[in-house]
Amino acid sequence: MDAFGMGLVAAMGALATVAGASEDIDSDIGSQSNPNSQVQLAAQVGNPHRIYNKAIAGEPPSNALWCTTAAIMAYVLIEGYGMPLLFAAAAGASLAALFDGVMSISAYLGRNASQARFNQWIYLDIIRYTTPSIMAHVWITSFCIVLISIIQVYVLTPHHPFPIPVIALVWGLTVGAIGSSVGDIHYGGEREFQWRLFGQGLNTMLSGQIVRKAEAGLRNSIDNAWFCAKFGGPCTGMGFGLTVFLDNWRTTVFDPITQATYAIAMGVFFVIVMNLYNFYCELSARRKYGPYPGYKGDIAA
Amino acid sequence: MTFDTTTIVYMLEIIVGGLLVGIGVHFVPVGGAPAAMAQATGIGTGTVQLAAGSGLTGLLSAGLMMYAMTLNPNFATEGYSLWPILLTGACGAMIMMDSTMLTGSWIYAYAVGAPFASAKVNYDPITGFSQPPYVAPGTVGQGIPTVCFVSGTIGAAMGGLGGALIYFPLVLINGNPALSAIFAIGIFMVDAVLASWNIQGTIEGFHDPKFKKWPKAFKSCLVATVILALVAVLITPLGGV
Repeated sequence: MDAFGMGLVAAMGALATVAGASEDIDSDIGSQSNPNSQVQLAAQVGNPHRIYNKAIAGEPPSNALWCTTAAIMAYVLIEGYGMPLLFAAAAGASLAALFDGVMSISAYLGRNASQARFNQWIYLDIIRYTTPSIMAHVWITSFCIVLISIIQVYVLTPHHPFPIPVIALVWGLTVGAIGSSVGDIHYGGEREFQWRLFGQGLNTMLSGQIVRKAEAGLRNSIDNAWFCAKFGGPCTGMGFGLTVFLDNWRTTVFDPITQATYAIAMGVFFVIVMNLYNFYCELSARRKYGPYPGYKGDIAA
Repeated sequence: MTFDTTTIVYMLEIIVGGLLVGIGVHFVPVGGAPAAMAQATGIGTGTVQLAAGSGLTGLLSAGLMMYAMTLNPNFATEGYSLWPILLTGACGAMIMMDSTMLTGSWIYAYAVGAPFASAKVNYDPITGFSQPPYVAPGTVGQGIPTVCFVSGTIGAAMGGLGGALIYFPLVLINGNPALSAIFAIGIFMVDAVLASWNIQGTIEGFHDPKFKKWPKAFKSCLVATVILALVAVLITPLGGV
């Protein structure tokens, strides 16, 4: 273990945390992934809204696409033209953000145009001021992930055998999977249904009855980003940051050549600790919210 | 290329890896979009996406471990050892899956405010906690109870192990880590999608009645992976040997 390697792993963890948070906020602004089902449904059950509606693909494939696009451009600039690493990563991220902007606009226009019969309008002002913030978040995500890949391939020892685009593809898939599993709950379960009874799951009867009024005026996607940036985004960042940091920490502290057993044992230790922590979360949630008051069955709580 | 005993061993490794992925997906507690709205138990995303996210994180660790072995001064005499590669892959996948489920649990417990409950069993097989009183009407459970968490960890371990077991022979065949990684991702996706169809998109873990359908996925993954393994061993290194 050397101090430089540890510093790099810490930097990767920090970059991953930022990437995770911005990925989640990007998907919240665009209502991508799971909560999109409710945004789609809202207009169909008589609740037209001013919320951005893009579902280019599931979060993991779409983020894998942005990150790989950015990584390929960075790879070409570094290997082919000898450009500086940071400049190459920034240029690649800009290309990914442009791609995302084109697809977001076409997704918004296509989805809302197809819902014209439900009285859902296409709002040009929403396109004008929401799309740039989606692109900005995609830029941050792909920049951070390309930088993580660059660190793994060029700086951290032992250098990773995969080329930058393959690593960016895998991390893009992973950050999308985490954003879709973690941050979406905060947007879908909490922000879209803020008037349901607290302390229980969401009744299926409420599907499509999303909140359409904001703290002032009509709610739009920027309001959702403001809310989700308080907890859902940081939690997603924490999830991805933990993944990148813990996974690389154990192979940096313990030399994978001579101390492989310790590296594996450390991984198992992390897994056991996380299992116990989840048990604690389950206990505290059950204690805090208690059984459902109207429960009629005969099984004791 | 020659088709000898080594080639058959490589094929068998790829097939076992594919089957591990196929069965491992059945363990991962995935609730799909309803879970993201706290209407169903499990993780709020798609089966394949989550399995791929965790398995491929394991693949990155396994690739690094396999490459690190070549840097060993005694590599020429000792060669690769399989177990550290496989176990590192499993560990990487478990870490990704557990961090995801843990941070998801924070949101269920502290933001949405839902007690964790499974609608498929009356008592949690691991903790013995009662479940039905905590399931709100109009939902099929919420959150990630302990049994689902443990099941997800097992599933991730199998996925990571399977991914590494597919990757290992591919590198030995064509000597190109990048090509092998992409092909391993491909085989991984095929098996994960087949298993996902078998469970119709959502499952709670090994305690879910749907889990009993795993032999069907086993058979279909076997057929698919045998074909893919045949193709895989035919891939020669770029530029020939």
